[in-house]
Amino acid sequence: MGDLITTLMVCHFIASVGAAEIRNLKTSTIFLMLQSLLLALIIAAFAGRSQNYSLYWWVALTVVTKVIIIPGLLWVHIKKTQVMEIKPLVSFVVSFIVLAIFLVAFYQMVHTYAGFVAPTAAAAVEPARSALALSFTIFVLGLYVLVIHRDAVKIIIGLHLIENGVHLALVTLVPQLPVSTVFGIVSNVVFAAVMLLWLTDNIYKAFGSSDTMKLSSLKG
Amino acid sequence: MVVTINPTAVSILPFLVFMVPLFFGGLIFALGRYGKFFRQGLALIGIFATLAISIMMTGRVLGGEVLTWWNNNFYIDGLATLMELAASGLGAIVVVYSIYYFSEKTEAAEAHPYTSMTSYYGQIMVFLGLMNWTCATNNIIMMYVSLEFTTLATVFLVTFHWNKQALEAGYKYLLLVTVGVIFALLGSVLLYAAAIPYLPVSRVLLLTELGTIATKIPTNIVLLASAFLVVGFGTKAGLVPFHAWLPDAHAEAPAPVSALLSGIVIKVGAYALARTISVFAPHYGTIPLFIAILCSISMIVGMMMAMIQDDLKRMLAYSSVAQIAYVIEGLGMGTYLGIYGGLMHLLNHSIVKGLLFLAVGALIYATGKRKVSELSKIKLNMPITAFAFFVGIFALSGMPPFNGFVSKFTLFLAVGQANLLWAAIIGIITSLFTLVCFFRAGYKIFWSPKESYSVGAETTTAAEVPAGMWVGMVILAVAAIALGVFPQIVHPLLDSATKCILRILIGG
Repeated sequence: MGDLITTLMVCHFIASVGAAEIRNLKTSTIFLMLQSLLLALIIAAFAGRSQNYSLYWWVALTVVTKVIIIPGLLWVHIKKTQVMEIKPLVSFVVSFIVLAIFLVAFYQMVHTYAGFVAPTAAAAVEPARSALALSFTIFVLGLYVLVIHRDAVKIIIGLHLIENGVHLALVTLVPQLPVSTVFGIVSNVVFAAVMLLWLTDNIYKAFGSSDTMKLSSLKG
Repeated sequence: MVVTINPTAVSILPFLVFMVPLFFGGLIFALGRYGKFFRQGLALIGIFATLAISIMMTGRVLGGEVLTWWNNNFYIDGLATLMELAASGLGAIVVVYSIYYFSEKTEAAEAHPYTSMTSYYGQIMVFLGLMNWTCATNNIIMMYVSLEFTTLATVFLVTFHWNKQALEAGYKYLLLVTVGVIFALLGSVLLYAAAIPYLPVSRVLLLTELGTIATKIPTNIVLLASAFLVVGFGTKAGLVPFHAWLPDAHAEAPAPVSALLSGIVIKVGAYALARTISVFAPHYGTIPLFIAILCSISMIVGMMMAMIQDDLKRMLAYSSVAQIAYVIEGLGMGTYLGIYGGLMHLLNHSIVKGLLFLAVGALIYATGKRKVSELSKIKLNMPITAFAFFVGIFALSGMPPFNGFVSKFTLFLAVGQANLLWAAIIGIITSLFTLVCFFRAGYKIFWSPKESYSVGAETTTAAEVPAGMWVGMVILAVAAIALGVFPQIVHPLLDSATKCILRILIGG
């Protein structure tokens, strides 16, 4: 079981970096879908391991919202606009190398000093320790995407990486979260994504571009 | 300090206070297209019903009760009633004002089909419902959820004019606040997880239980979670450096919406901080210091940015960045005087900033202009708006005998008591510059000689706005003066609200 969780986590990490770094928006969206699917599988593995079946609600909601609805909407939007991302601030090779080194180092740091971020003793024991380190790493990766990328679609992908990171931390730290709360958190995410996409659509119509750097008429 | 623990009473009111506006909001969305009554009439009925419920709850809370519903998951104490009274009161004034502010022409021409008047009133009601829900809930994760929903519910109010600037402002607002508030979720999760070993399952999510375990949670978790919560709720409140969205969103929204955004929405961030960070402030000396530094930066940046604005609404928006810092500074002190001053300034700033945005809305309504340089060339015959504007700026900059003076004075005392005299001095200087900044704008708009600037015979004198608009402004202006002269009117409510936080502190 431990091996399975480790494998899933490694795949989750690779899919996250793919979603963040690939410049073809369609491929990037597929990676985001894979990333969310792997998150669902990690949660399912946790559920099976701890015999905590209320976690399957998380799995079901993650699959419906993050694997189907949001990537689907992104896909429709990309078809209407353009496939290639607007050039980000940093070139692919530099970004990829810097990110790979930084993320691995960051993961190692959080994993080594897990006691600092783990609120309970149980959270500092494997596999929760790795999951916690991974969730913080994905969170930082999402923030990086928001800062570096200019394309509105990529910004939504970055937002999702952040949210998936936090949700992984949530499942790891508080698996016994009531179902009503899980519904609240997940519906939040879906509403935010749909509204952001809708605004992006209209901004594309108004400005003729999904370049968020051009959103600078309001200054000072 | 000995704080008596009030008896709790199970009541449906905490549920109604957010369900009534949500219900009317849904009703407006469903029926609004069938005519004016179904939009404006239903909004009026809904908001005054909510106001009545808030007043009833205030009465019971001041009578010494704590209202709860659904196993303490909804919990109305003095602090929650203070917020809900402010939200419903300002909400009622804004709804009445909106009816006159948007002319038939606006309804037909300016608004995009998606952002029609139906969805305008619908969203205002849904937003007020969510706002009341955020204050009524006692569940730390649901507080995040409803707080994030208040952002989502106001995005299409910000983009109401549906032009490039409005879309840009709405996009920034939605994206930055959503990302910011996720930090708060992470902080809440850390606190929640840390509380699990010490509390039974049914009570572990409750905010009111946080105080009982404040000293048991490991120090590193408290500091980490506090940092995340300050970033998260600080973004919602518009503190520097998380304020980038605020001037855009508050300036591009229609004036009544700006009044709600500056008057209430940013306060909910301060409220959430009061419920969480204040619990730890007395046990950790670094938290008050950290908050004082952050808030002082916020005051200086907000005030300096306000000084260089020509656009009145952006000027007011930047001043909100500075003023919310006073509120949070007080709450972060963790002492009775600090929390009292912070909450009083929260109430006062709601009144005053609501008043100022409505007054600027009246200027926009009468002239179609919102820049100081343009307004200063137009002859204005608007005595009531001018009165409201000047009351607003004197109260905002903390001049006696207006309400801002009382709350700021209390705050400066509290900050001084906490040995942070430099922070009090920064607060006083910021207030003085606020006066300079707004008095200069007010002088140019209302007093400067206009004849020499007159463009032509067409630039006739701008007349006073309809009564439906100025009544709300006069009510708020009178409140600003009354609370300055007789601050004891609100003392019972503020005292009760302050003791709520202190009771959480000592763990009751």
